[in-house]
Amino acid sequence: MVIAVLLLPLAGGLVSGVVPWRRGIGWLGTVIASGVLVTGVVLAVDVVHGKPMSALGGVLRADALSAFMVIVIGVIATLATWQGVRYLGAEIAADRCTRRHAALYSVLVQAFVATMLLAVLAANLGVLWVAIEATTVVTTFLVGHRRTRSSLEASWKYIVICSVGIAMAFLGTVLVYLASLHVGHGPHPLDWTSLVAQSHQLNPGVMRLAFALIVIGYGTKVGLVPMHSWLPDAHSQAPAPVSALMSGVLLTVAFYAILRFKVIADGALGPTFPRALLVIVGLLSLLVAASLLLTQRDYKRMLAYHSVEHMGLIALGAAAGSPLAIAAVLLHILGHGLAKGVLFLASGEILLTEGTSEIERVPALLSRRPVLGGIFGFGLFALLGFPPFSLFVSELNMLRAEFQVGLGWAAAVSLVCMAVIFAAVMSHGRHLLLGPRGTDAPAMTPALVAVPLIGGLVGCAFIGVSAWPLESLLHAAARIVAP
Amino acid sequence: MSASTYTNVLGLAAAAVLLCAVVTLWRRSLGAIVRTLAVQGAALACVATVIGLHEHDVGLIVVGLLVLGAKAVVVPLLIGRVVRHDPNSRETDPLVNVPASLVAAGALTFLAFAATRSVTSLVPTTAGRLIPIGLAAMLVGFFALVTRRKAVSQIVGILLVDNGVALVAFLATAGVPLLVELGASLDVLLAVIVLRVLAIQMRSRLGSFDLDQLTELHD
Amino acid sequence: MSTISHVIGTGISSAVQVAVVAVGGPVLVGVMRKVRCRLEGRVGPPVLQPLVDIRKLFRKQRFRPDQATWIFTLAPVMLVATVVVAAAITPLVTTHPALRASSDLFVLVYLLLVGSTLLALAGLDAGTAFGGMGSSRAVTIGALAEPALLVTILALSTTAHSSNLPAIVSAILAHPESVATPQRLFALGALLIVIVAESGRLPVDNPATHLELTMVHEAMILEYAGPDLALVTVGEAMRLTLLLGIFVNLVAPWGVATSTSVSGVVVGLASVVAKVAVVGVFLAVFEVFIAKVRLFRVPELLAGAFVLALLGVVSGLVAK
Repeated sequence: MVIAVLLLPLAGGLVSGVVPWRRGIGWLGTVIASGVLVTGVVLAVDVVHGKPMSALGGVLRADALSAFMVIVIGVIATLATWQGVRYLGAEIAADRCTRRHAALYSVLVQAFVATMLLAVLAANLGVLWVAIEATTVVTTFLVGHRRTRSSLEASWKYIVICSVGIAMAFLGTVLVYLASLHVGHGPHPLDWTSLVAQSHQLNPGVMRLAFALIVIGYGTKVGLVPMHSWLPDAHSQAPAPVSALMSGVLLTVAFYAILRFKVIADGALGPTFPRALLVIVGLLSLLVAASLLLTQRDYKRMLAYHSVEHMGLIALGAAAGSPLAIAAVLLHILGHGLAKGVLFLASGEILLTEGTSEIERVPALLSRRPVLGGIFGFGLFALLGFPPFSLFVSELNMLRAEFQVGLGWAAAVSLVCMAVIFAAVMSHGRHLLLGPRGTDAPAMTPALVAVPLIGGLVGCAFIGVSAWPLESLLHAAARIVAP
Repeated sequence: MSASTYTNVLGLAAAAVLLCAVVTLWRRSLGAIVRTLAVQGAALACVATVIGLHEHDVGLIVVGLLVLGAKAVVVPLLIGRVVRHDPNSRETDPLVNVPASLVAAGALTFLAFAATRSVTSLVPTTAGRLIPIGLAAMLVGFFALVTRRKAVSQIVGILLVDNGVALVAFLATAGVPLLVELGASLDVLLAVIVLRVLAIQMRSRLGSFDLDQLTELHD
Repeated sequence: MSTISHVIGTGISSAVQVAVVAVGGPVLVGVMRKVRCRLEGRVGPPVLQPLVDIRKLFRKQRFRPDQATWIFTLAPVMLVATVVVAAAITPLVTTHPALRASSDLFVLVYLLLVGSTLLALAGLDAGTAFGGMGSSRAVTIGALAEPALLVTILALSTTAHSSNLPAIVSAILAHPESVATPQRLFALGALLIVIVAESGRLPVDNPATHLELTMVHEAMILEYAGPDLALVTVGEAMRLTLLLGIFVNLVAPWGVATSTSVSGVVVGLASVVAKVAVVGVFLAVFEVFIAKVRLFRVPELLAGAFVLALLGVVSGLVAK
């Protein structure tokens, strides 16, 4: 089962690499992604009450946390690949992209999904690192897929900054390895399970340095301040489906790596040091996002900075570290993925039809394109944490958990930042959505585009209202991080 | 190999890695910078092989040979071919001038020494005592990356950081498990290829490797 | 060995050292010129030409600028005097020269600095444009070389836990396996750069040039003539020889006598002459292939020396 999850996108990538691109191949990607989602659900049912599953001689391992992340990846990938068909069709029609480039795009998207799946299914922290580094390599070409001067700049910044960050994470991994070798020679010194089991014996001095490097290193890929500067450029320049995947899941897959290391660091150092570190980067991310969102003129960059804010919130939630907080963090990962995925896909549609990504030049969307404007508006509501969307529930619970563990001051600061962001996004959104229509008749959005986006928003609202299908999985996963 | 020969050879090889990192700050010609990178790769391979010989670890000797092939030959060749089209390319105007960079490199070396106290106390071996040198090489690479304004020097900066981390790994834990090592090397190789493609695109579109021309994206 | 015979022995050894530096200095300059000329396809002056020149200068009439003060007179004398004292106490031939306790790297550096500083002042004293320019450049280079030199001394003294030069040389003789440690190689590399800069050789300064845009040292001493110029020339040649002598004995101290016996001193004398000659020839060959760096690139070179020395110190700390 675990291997099947990985094989699906690999097979998909192979097919799209061999067969020349046509729409059918694009839809194959969507089928594969929904296949990943289905296997993720099956996996979750298997591991939620039972033992974790391993495969490939202990290299791969799936527990409730991994299964949850597989589901998140599957959901967002389904949405993104669905929209990808339209993106490639439009690019080919406008003669900005050849069929060969389209095939390359499909291969890379499948490889991207495969590397993310490998990251969340890796039992070995070294393999986890290899997978996350591989996501950088694979996505660089996707960021630069439009081959403009600014997308070249974005992909250069992206790979340079992320490569350095990930090198620091590697150093952190090496130090964890050193600490575990020092305790005794287990069969797999980088195996997460055995590291957690012996975490209280690990040398605290080395682990302190290691965890700091991990937070900075993987934090680069998460987009946490101070290593966030690649994020707005890459997310605004990448094609919309890729932005949706990167912002919706890649950031949180990197955060998943920090969560795994946090369990070990908590055991070795006690909760104080990891908490302090995560609170610092979390608050910094919120402050920077709040100040930069105020002056945004580009709606894709606005969404990108909004990701920085949400990663900051997630870091604060993880800093609290109680089971309630972790469950809320995981729910937030899913909710943010859905809302941000839908918004980026919608923004891709706006860019396609309006031809610009400047807020100033896209007024009164709601009256000119009611469906698309409605989706974008509801997406913004979801992202700002309005009920009934799930982000409301998860943000509320994270704040509650922060007050419970004595991080009330940090929660208060984050509330102030969220208020500023709320005001900024509302003002940008008002300009983008409201206003007089002018003379043109309202333009319709194709149902094929609207259906998945509306579906994503409905899903986000559904899990906000009823935690039913996820509750036991969330609790099982939270217990792994916060025993 | 006698104990004092081992100490000396290992110390010299590790010191050569750091020295090469400093020399990349010193030189301006991009071709010379790439050649220095190749020398550093060879020194790194020497570290791995010497530790392997000392501890009778065949796997590590093989890794050393792989490092020699990848970091001393293949990667410098890949980058060198980008430079060769443009033989007069020089790092003319770094953000921090050369003397100040060199002094900063000295300061970073001391920082590395101070930051690794807890690690060196855990590994009281000959190799373990040299860990600060690896971290210093990494920090110098980071500095080169931040202050140099040519695409090729930034690629070299990334690889300096990477070699520094690899040096720490060899010295602290005699390398990571083979599977991880292979995966990591493959990733680095792919990253270099991607960077190379981007650098070539940059030159064909902008006419140079100058990153100062990339200023479209900002807030 | 009784105290009196020891004092006599050290005294004789020091006298031998001063003599070899005084005679060998001009000869070394002659050898280096000869090598350079030959490599460039010229015949070149005879090896002993500098000695002949000096003799000629001593016989000439004393001639000084009108405005010059006593500093101008004092500087050449002090230059030679400081080098003579330094040559007497340095372990060139034996590790037991006179005043062994004073043979400290710091003492030597500042002893030599007295001479250079007076010479720079003398360059200003004459009141000409060239003298002032030369002094300003020389002092700039000296000021940049100084931190590098101090850190180099620090790195070198970690081996023997002392900055006493005979102690450092003896420590390497006693522990031959420590001859190629990283900290020593870094420090000696830095020392070589500093020596080249301080003694006004390529690539920092071209001793053969009289082009006003590029000269450093020659501009400073442009107003000297006759016996004063002879003293300056001797002093500079002796200083180069002394610095190279210290350098070779730090790199490869083998051959240096560890006593003041006659046989030991003879062997030590032969070895130090041979080693300095080899390094001198090597430097001359090296100078054929390089160009003088532009003046504003000199700080880079010396900052490089500084970093090398710093790396030496850190490697020393690491190896503890």
